[in-house]
Amino acid sequence: MGFVSIGDFFFFLPPIFSSSFASSTRSLSFSFVSFSFFFFILMYTLASPSISQKDRPSKEKLYLRFDLWFTPFSQILSQMDKPPLHPHHESISSRWSSVSFKDNKEVTFSDLGSKRIRHGSAGADSEMLSMSQKEIKDEDARLIYINDPDRTNETFDFTGNSIKTAKYSVFTFLPRNLFEQFHRVAYVYFLVIAVLNQLPQLAVFGRGASIMPLAFVLLVSAIKDAYEDFRRHRSDRVENNRLALVFEDNEFKEKQWKYIRVGEVIKVVSNQTLPCDMVLLATSDPTGVVYVQTTNLDGESNLKTRYAKQETLQKATDDLETFDGFIKCEKPNRNIYGFQANMEIDGRRLSLGPSNIILRGCELKNTEWALGVVVYAGSETKAMLNNSGAPSKRSRLETRMNLEIILLSLFLIALCTTAAATAAVWLRTHRDDLDTILFYRRKDYSVRPEGKNHNYYGWGWEIFFTFFMAVIVYQIMIPISLYISMELVRIGQAYFMTRDDLMYDESSNSSFQCRALNINEDLGQIKYLFSDKTGTLTDNKMEFQCACIGGVDYSDREPPEITLKPKMRVRVDPSLLQLTRNGNATEEAKHANEFFLSLAACNTIVPIVTNTSDPNVKLVDYQGESPDEQALVYAAAAYGFLLIERTSGHIVINVRGEMQRFNVLGLHEFDSDRKRMSVILGCPDTSVKLFVKGADSSMFSVMDEESYGDVIEATKKQLHAYSSDGLRTLVVGMRKLNDTEFEQWHSSFEAASTALIEEANASVASDDDDESVALIIDGTSLIYVLDNDLEDVLFQVACKSSAVLCCRVAPFQKAGIVALVKNRTSDMTLAIGDGANDVSMIQMADVGVGISGQEGRQAVMASDFAMGQFRFLVPLLLVHGHWNYQRMGYMILYNFYRNAVFVLILFWYVLFTCYTLTTAITEWSSVLYSVVYTSFPTIVIGILDKNLGRRILLSHPQLYGVGQRAEGYSTTLFWYTMFDTVWQSAAIFFIPLFAYWGSTIDTSSLGDLWTIAAVVVVNLHLAMDVIRWNWIAHAAIWGSIVAACICVVVIDVIPTLPGYWAIFQVAKTWMFWFCLLAIVVTALLPRFAIKFLVEYYRPSDVRIAREVEKLRSFSESQQNMGTEMNQIRDPSRS
Amino acid sequence: MPSNTASSSSAPAGSADSSASRTKSKRPKYSKFTQQELPACKPILTPGWVVLTFLVISVIFIPLGVVSLFASQDVVEIVDRYDNDCVPTPARANKVAYIQGVSDKSCNRTLVVPKKMKQPIYVYYQLENFYQNHRRYVKSRSDSQLRSVKDENQIDACKPEDDVNGRPIVPCGLIAWSLFNDTYALSKNNQPLTVNKRGIAWKSDREHKFGKNVFPKNFQEGNITGGGRLDANKSLSEQEDLIVWMRTAALPTFRKLYGKIESDLEKGDTIHVTLLNNYNTYSFDGKKKLVLSTTSWLGGKNDFLGIAYLTVGGICFFLALVFTIMYLVKPRRLGDPTYLSWNRVPGGGR
Repeated sequence: MGFVSIGDFFFFLPPIFSSSFASSTRSLSFSFVSFSFFFFILMYTLASPSISQKDRPSKEKLYLRFDLWFTPFSQILSQMDKPPLHPHHESISSRWSSVSFKDNKEVTFSDLGSKRIRHGSAGADSEMLSMSQKEIKDEDARLIYINDPDRTNETFDFTGNSIKTAKYSVFTFLPRNLFEQFHRVAYVYFLVIAVLNQLPQLAVFGRGASIMPLAFVLLVSAIKDAYEDFRRHRSDRVENNRLALVFEDNEFKEKQWKYIRVGEVIKVVSNQTLPCDMVLLATSDPTGVVYVQTTNLDGESNLKTRYAKQETLQKATDDLETFDGFIKCEKPNRNIYGFQANMEIDGRRLSLGPSNIILRGCELKNTEWALGVVVYAGSETKAMLNNSGAPSKRSRLETRMNLEIILLSLFLIALCTTAAATAAVWLRTHRDDLDTILFYRRKDYSVRPEGKNHNYYGWGWEIFFTFFMAVIVYQIMIPISLYISMELVRIGQAYFMTRDDLMYDESSNSSFQCRALNINEDLGQIKYLFSDKTGTLTDNKMEFQCACIGGVDYSDREPPEITLKPKMRVRVDPSLLQLTRNGNATEEAKHANEFFLSLAACNTIVPIVTNTSDPNVKLVDYQGESPDEQALVYAAAAYGFLLIERTSGHIVINVRGEMQRFNVLGLHEFDSDRKRMSVILGCPDTSVKLFVKGADSSMFSVMDEESYGDVIEATKKQLHAYSSDGLRTLVVGMRKLNDTEFEQWHSSFEAASTALIEEANASVASDDDDESVALIIDGTSLIYVLDNDLEDVLFQVACKSSAVLCCRVAPFQKAGIVALVKNRTSDMTLAIGDGANDVSMIQMADVGVGISGQEGRQAVMASDFAMGQFRFLVPLLLVHGHWNYQRMGYMILYNFYRNAVFVLILFWYVLFTCYTLTTAITEWSSVLYSVVYTSFPTIVIGILDKNLGRRILLSHPQLYGVGQRAEGYSTTLFWYTMFDTVWQSAAIFFIPLFAYWGSTIDTSSLGDLWTIAAVVVVNLHLAMDVIRWNWIAHAAIWGSIVAACICVVVIDVIPTLPGYWAIFQVAKTWMFWFCLLAIVVTALLPRFAIKFLVEYYRPSDVRIAREVEKLRSFSESQQNMGTEMNQIRDPSRS
Repeated sequence: MPSNTASSSSAPAGSADSSASRTKSKRPKYSKFTQQELPACKPILTPGWVVLTFLVISVIFIPLGVVSLFASQDVVEIVDRYDNDCVPTPARANKVAYIQGVSDKSCNRTLVVPKKMKQPIYVYYQLENFYQNHRRYVKSRSDSQLRSVKDENQIDACKPEDDVNGRPIVPCGLIAWSLFNDTYALSKNNQPLTVNKRGIAWKSDREHKFGKNVFPKNFQEGNITGGGRLDANKSLSEQEDLIVWMRTAALPTFRKLYGKIESDLEKGDTIHVTLLNNYNTYSFDGKKKLVLSTTSWLGGKNDFLGIAYLTVGGICFFLALVFTIMYLVKPRRLGDPTYLSWNRVPGGGR
C-alpha cells in the first residue's frame, strides 16, 4: 500500500468518518473516498497483512532505501572552479554551492592540523530558530570567569548549587499548602459557603456539619502533600550532600554539591552523576570527547558525545591554576538541546554550542574523567528548570460542562430568590402578628419590658438572610463533589489504560503512560488526527535494504544468507559485495567503495568495542542518536567497512581488514531543519573529501544537474521505485576538494561562525499513494500558505479531501497546521509523533500522543499520552477513548441529577415550612448525601462500566462517532435530565407529603423517609443505566444504599439529636414501606418507559451494537453491517 | 529474520544497572480486572422484559391500592373544629384579645358516633396552619438539657425563652414554651369517658431522651406565657404531653395524640366534650380540631396512598398494553443493522 511513505506528516480531514473501512475483510479494496481518521487508523491495521503479502517480513521492520550519487560528485568536483563567497546567500549559482553547501554553516571547518572545530547544529524545535544568532547581547548573557568563582559571583549573584524541590518547610507548610489547595475553585466555593454558615444569622448547619466535608478533603490532601514533601526533603538532602571534586587551592578537593558555585572547575569521573551544568574544558580523551548518558534528563539511554574545545584541552589539563578566560553564555533556560555561548581564552574567542556542555543529572560514561566549568548551578540547571510536570490541559467535556454549571447556578439563584421572595411575602402579610405568633415570637421581653427584637433585623435583612441561608442549604446544586469524583474517575481510567495488555509494547518493554490526567475523555471525541509519518509509522527500526550507486540499482530481494560479525545482521547483496571486493578496479567498484566509505564515515555514530566470552572475538556496538545512521553503519560494516573508532579529530575504519585513519576536518551534524549532514575527511591518501548525506530533496537541490543529468535521472527513477515500495530513502554524495577550495571554504566558515542565521527548510523523501484523493502540500508551499492569508482556502480544500499530506515540513509548520485546524473548528484534534520535530505539534493539539520509539523521548515528554507503538492508537481511541467519553459524559449528567434531586426535595419542603429554610432531612444526611450516600457508585461506574465490549468497538469503528457527535453529553441531554429530576424530586417529596398530611408524623421521621427514598431512587436510577453488572457494580450500588441506611440509623441513635429513634419508629409502620415503594416506582416510571421507547424505536448506534453483542449473532450481524457499509457516504457531503 | 534488532543495539553499553532493569518486563500483570473483562451481566431492555415489568408492577400495585383503600375506609374518625365556635359571639371580633384575656374559656361540644368504633380509640388534637417546622421554632430547644440535669445551662439555642432573670428555664425554648394546653373532658351518655393519657409518647423518648430526674424549672415564669404549664413535681420523662409536643410535626397540618379511649363506642353514641379553649391559634388563623379516630394497620384515614397505588398500577397496566400493541404492530428486530446511523444516511443504499 505504500502508505508508510506518503509524506512526512499528514492530517486527515474532515471530521465525519465514513464506513468504507470498517470491515477488516476489505483491506485491499478500500478507496480513498472516506473522510476521517478512522480511515487512517484502519488503514494502518489493514495494511499490515497487505505488507506481508508484499514480501515484507514483518511490519515492525523498516525498509531503508538507499540511493547513491557518487560519480556525479567526483566529476563535479573536478569541474568546480568558483568557491562560494557569501555564506548566508541562498543562491546556488556557483558550482561549489551546488555541490554541497547551501550555506556555510553546514560544515564547520578546521585546517588540516590538530585544531578541530565542531559545530553541532541546533535542535529541531522552532524555538531554536530564534537562538541562532550567535552574538549574545550583554543584557541577555551571564559572564563566568573560569576558575574564579569569587569574581564570577561578585557582580551577579548566581544561584548556588543547592537544590530545593521540596515545597514546604515546617513553618510554611500550613499556609502554603492551604493556599495551594484553595487554587481550586471548588474548594473556594466550599469555603465561602462554610464561612457564610458561620455567621450567626445564617447558621443553617451546625459548625461541625458545615466544615466537616471541606476539612476532610483538605486534611487528606494535606497529609498526602506532606508525605510527598517529606520524601522530597529527604532526597534533596541526599542530593545536596553528594560529593564532587572541585578545583580549589591548586588541587581537587571533595566538596558537597550544595556548596558548588558558578565559575568553579569540577572534575567528574566515570559513572559519576554531574552536579550541575558545565562547559567542558578537558577530558581524559586527548581529542576532548566525553560520552554521557542522559537517561535522567530525557529518558534516552543511548550514549551521547560531547566535546571539549580543542583550545582548552591542553591548558586545562596541565595548568589549570593559571587558566584564564571567561564564558559569556545565555541566561538559564529550559531547552536541554540548546546552548549558546562564547568563550574567550587568551584573547581568542571560541563559540560554544550544545555539544560543549554537559548537564546536571547526566552520567559520565566510557570516559575516565572530564573537567568542566560550572555555568549553571542548582535551580538554574536545565534539568531543574525542566522539572515541571506535564502541562495541564482542560478536557473538552469539562469546558462544555461549565455551561451547564452556569445554568445550575442560575437555577440555584432562582430557587434562593423564590425562597426569599415567598418568605418576604409571608413576613409582610403577618407583620403585625409576628410578636404573638407562637412559632415566631419576634420579641424577647426578658431584656426589657417593651421587648426587643430577637434574631430579627427588619424585613429587608430577613429577606437578605433568607436568600443566603438558601444558598447554604442548596449549595450542592453546584455539584462540587463532581470535580473530586471526576479526578478520581480519571485516575481509575488512567489505571486501566496503563494496565491494558493490548497497549503494552513488548519490543520496547513499555506500557501505556497517561501523562496528563485531565483529558482522558477527550480521547473519545477526536475528529482530526495529525500524524508524523516517518518514524511514527515505521517504528524507526531501520534496516539497510538496497542501494542505487551511480544510477545502478543493486537491490537483491532474495532472502539473505550471509551473517556478519557486528551486532546487527544486514542483508547483503552478493553482487554488490563482490563489487566492493574488487577494490578500485573498475569505475563502478570505485563508486561502490566510496559509497560504503561515506556510509561508514558520514555519521555521528560512536563505536563501542566490548569484549565477549571469547577473548579473540570483540563485539562492535554502534551507539548513536539516529537509528538511520546505525543502520547505515551496520550496512557499511557488512560490506567490509567497519567503523572502529571515532573521536572528534579522526575516524578509524577497518576497510576489509586494513585499518585506515581519516582526519575529520569538518563536520556538521544532521538536523531535521536542514535534512543534510556533511563531513570533510582528510583521507590516508592525503586527498580531502566531502561527504554529504541527506534527504533527496535537499540533496538534489545542491547537485549539478547540468553535468550529471542522466545519472540524476536514473537515480531519481530508482528512488521513486524504492519509495513506491515503501522504503525510506536517503541520498549520499561525495566530492573531492582541492586546497584552494578548502582555504576559501575555511575563510567563509570563519565569517559564518560569527553570525549565522538559521533558515528553516525541512524535507524528507515522500511519496503519495496513487489511489488517494488526497491533498498533498509541501513545506515550501506551506510557508507561502501560512504566511499569506491563504489558510482559509487551504482549510476548505483540505476539508474536501479525504486526507491531507504535508511533506517536507518543518516542526513549526506542523504546529501551524494543527493550529490552522484548531482555530477554524471547535472539533478535537490529536497529534501523534515520536520525534523532537513533533514536539511543537504535540503541544499544539488538543491531545498529544507521543510514541516512545527509537527517536528519543522528547515527543513523549511533551505528550499527554505516551505509548510504545503507533498501532496502539486504535485501542486507545476506539476502545478507551470511547469508554472514557461515555463514562464521563454520563457521570457528569448523573451528578447534576443526583444533587439537583436532593436540592429540589429540600426546596419543596420550604414551601411547607412557612418559607423558612428548615430541612426535615438532618443536616448530617445533607452533608453526607453527596459524599457517602451516592458518590461511590458513580465513581465506580465511571471507572468500570463499559457500554460496549472491546471487540465490537474495534470491529465497528463507526461507533466512535458517538463521541465525535457529542452524543454522550449535550445540552439537550442536560435538559432532559433536569426535567426528569424535577419529576423524581416531586415524586419523592409529594407522595409522603400527601400520605402523611394531617397525621402525627414528626419532622425527623419524615426526613428519614425522604432521605432513604432519595438515596434508593438515585441509586436505582443509576442501576437502570448500568450496562455491565459485574460484582463491583453490584457491591457499589447496593452497598451504597445499605451504607446510607446505616448512616441514617447511626444518626438516629444519638439521643441529643432531635431525631432520636425516629427511623425505628417510622420503619415499623406499613405506611413507611408503602410510601417507599410508591415513590420508587412513580419516580422512575417515566424514565423507564421513555428510555425503553427511545432505545427501541429510535435506537442509537450503541444500542444496536449492544443488542448485537447481547444476541451473540456477532459474526452474522457483522456481515450485515459490513455489506451495507460501502455504499454509505459521509452525511455532511451527500 | 534479523534477530538482534536495533532495539538491543541501542541499549547503552557499559551500564550494567540500566540493562538489568531493561530485562525486567514492565508488562502489566494480566487479570480480568485490569483488562476490564470481569464477568458481567448485560441486561438490555427488550419489549418482553419491559411489558413483563409493567405487568408485574400493576399486578402488585392494584391489589395493594385496593387493600390500602379498604384500610382507610375502615377507619372511623370524628373531627370537630372548635376554635371558632368556642369563642363567644361577642368576642369574635377580637379573638386574640379574648384568648389572652382571663375570662372563662370552657366550651361544650357534642359529637355523635357515626359508626361503631372499636377500641383503642385515639383522641387527637389537630392544628392547622401551625408551623411547628418553622425554622425559628424547631431550633429553639435544648435536647441535652432535656436529658440530664447537669446540662440544664445549655440554653444557647433557646432564646428568647432561655432564662428568667438569669435562671435557666427547664425545658427551655419556644417549643416547650408554646405547649398546647387545651384540655378535653369526655363523657358518653352522661357517663365520664376515661381518656388514658399514659403511653401516648414514644417509649424511646420517655426512657432515653427526657430525663427521669429532670424537673421543670422556671417554666412559664417569663413575661408572657405561651402555652401550658408543667407540674414541677413530675419529671420530664413523665410529662407525656410535653414529649408528644416536642416531637415537632413535619407539616403545618398535624395531629398530636391527646389520649386513648380504651372502650368501644357504638354507632349513635353521643359524646359530650367539655374543653378548655386556652390555646392561642387566633393570631395566625390557625385551626383547632378535636379528633376521635380508630386506626388501621396502615394508619389513619387517608385515601391518598390507595388512590396513588391504583393509579400507578393502572398506568403500568395501560403501558403494558400499549407496548404490547406497539410491539405487535411495529416490531423491530433486535440488533437490526439498518438502524445504524451510517446505514440510515439519506443518499446511501443501493
